[in-house]
Amino acid sequence: MTWTPRERVLAALNHEEPDRVPLDFAGTGASSIVIDAYNRLKDYLELQHETELMSKLQHLAMPDESVLQRFGVDTRPIMAPGRRGGGGCWLDELTYVDHFGVTFKGTADTDDKHFLYKDGPLHGGKLTRERIDEMTWPDPDDPGIFTGIKEQVERYKASGDYCLVLNVPDQVIHRAYALRGMEDFLKDLYRNPNTACYLMDRLVDYNIRASENMIREAGSENIDIIFFGEDLGTQDGCMFDPDTTYTRLIKPRHERIIQTLKSLTGAKSLFHCCGSAYKFIDHLIDIGVDALNPVQITARNMEPERLKEEFGSRMAFWGGINTQEVLPYQSADVVRTETERCIEIFGRAGGYVLHAVHNIQFEVPPENVVSMYDTGLQHRYG
Amino acid sequence: MTVQNVYDAVLAYDEEEVVKLVTAELETGTEPEKILQEGMVAALDTVGQGFSEGTLFVPEMLMAAEAVKAGLEILRPILANLGAKPHGTVVIGTVKGDLHDIGKNLVAMLLEGAGFRIVDLGTDVDTELFIDTAQKEKADIIAISGLLTTSMMEIDKAVRAVREANKTRNMNIKVMVGGPPVNQEFATKIGANGYSEDAPGAVEQARDFIAN
Repeated sequence: MTWTPRERVLAALNHEEPDRVPLDFAGTGASSIVIDAYNRLKDYLELQHETELMSKLQHLAMPDESVLQRFGVDTRPIMAPGRRGGGGCWLDELTYVDHFGVTFKGTADTDDKHFLYKDGPLHGGKLTRERIDEMTWPDPDDPGIFTGIKEQVERYKASGDYCLVLNVPDQVIHRAYALRGMEDFLKDLYRNPNTACYLMDRLVDYNIRASENMIREAGSENIDIIFFGEDLGTQDGCMFDPDTTYTRLIKPRHERIIQTLKSLTGAKSLFHCCGSAYKFIDHLIDIGVDALNPVQITARNMEPERLKEEFGSRMAFWGGINTQEVLPYQSADVVRTETERCIEIFGRAGGYVLHAVHNIQFEVPPENVVSMYDTGLQHRYG
Repeated sequence: MTVQNVYDAVLAYDEEEVVKLVTAELETGTEPEKILQEGMVAALDTVGQGFSEGTLFVPEMLMAAEAVKAGLEILRPILANLGAKPHGTVVIGTVKGDLHDIGKNLVAMLLEGAGFRIVDLGTDVDTELFIDTAQKEKADIIAISGLLTTSMMEIDKAVRAVREANKTRNMNIKVMVGGPPVNQEFATKIGANGYSEDAPGAVEQARDFIAN
């Protein structure tokens, strides 16, 4: 049979083997490419077009359809269009205040141009319900979240049977870090859990409402995957206790988002978690997550063999090509070998969608991007 | 009441209790150095060990370090009056171009809790500023971190510059590196004196430098 891109990805997520490993590139906000690396890739492929922006704050490109076709990419993103440029206001080239009132700072004269939150409306002092209620909340019905999505989906549908990924427009703990400051919010989870949960509940409400608007515009039947997530791991372990802090305070909030959006669409759930996600995977399976991204195999306990053996029948893996050591610093031949290894291990009996661990970074040479995708494109099951 | 209570209060992440108990210990005539070492440094080492073993996590480290910091506010002037010197001075920051600082902050807090004097230069720090500050503050150690893969090049440049400055400015500053993309192999390759995969390990490294 001939497999369409959508069928290919969904088969993999159902732990079945399609014709070849499915490929993602920019189906999510965590599987795209830094603008500079994209421009070099474009030149290398001798393709000429204006580079489209996916995220100004993360300095990410939205690859052109010609690049996606060249690589045989199976996914296409549905994203809040008004957020690409940020949706807030720029105070200067390196200072941006977003729609939640969070200030992001960039750095001058450096290769990596992505921005990081530095101040927010709940920074400092004690976190209280009053402060949470009094801060200016963005409107989840803001047309900037959904205008143009209907046309975007129609364009995708007219050009092929792609796997469409709805990117939930915001986050919960990461947004709380930005509003409150990471260190203070982590302490709030212990010292002031009821108020921390109140903040998270309001953020869950915002995300669900904003996503509902996007789903309505896209047409619920057109959404194949819901992409949502936030980092629970560090390079060497867990950000917080997976069996107490996560289970009692955060997991129920993640569950509400995932279950609500899955039930509205019938889509699969793809969860993003950088670092060592190992100790969270059973919890994520519990709340209905079908696939894990970006599978940071260089973090503790994240070796492909271990993950596939322990979770492979219950969790699919999405990402996995080594961004910290191989893609930026090794040859195209080494990239091919490493990609083959990941397909062989993660892709056994389906359960694998190929992409780099996270967005392709600044220093990754175009030859290595091509090598990774061509290895995937040439792969055949059976 | 004993110094053990101070230790327990740090492990209960109870800043107010630590302040109360440290004050009470001083009033009963307990040696300040004993309160510091057996009450606070020992407790922070226990938390660090739990962190390295994966039984305690980032929030617990933050809270324990803050409890120790509160106790240090009381002890530090007393220790200084008694002529006690800090165990060493560490100039710390994230490398040029990198704003990710929670790992750096944890290392700084643990080092401070372990009795080091910390000069925290924050994030996105120019190499020259690391070196000039270290010289001015008569530092023993420069500690540099980064999260981004692009920071590896900057860390490499910074370490080389510190080694060069040691020769040209007649200094003997050790440089230690850390952060998610950094590993021992990389640290060795670029000639860093020390590397650790986590914050408690960084404290061990710093102690070794001073001891030797």
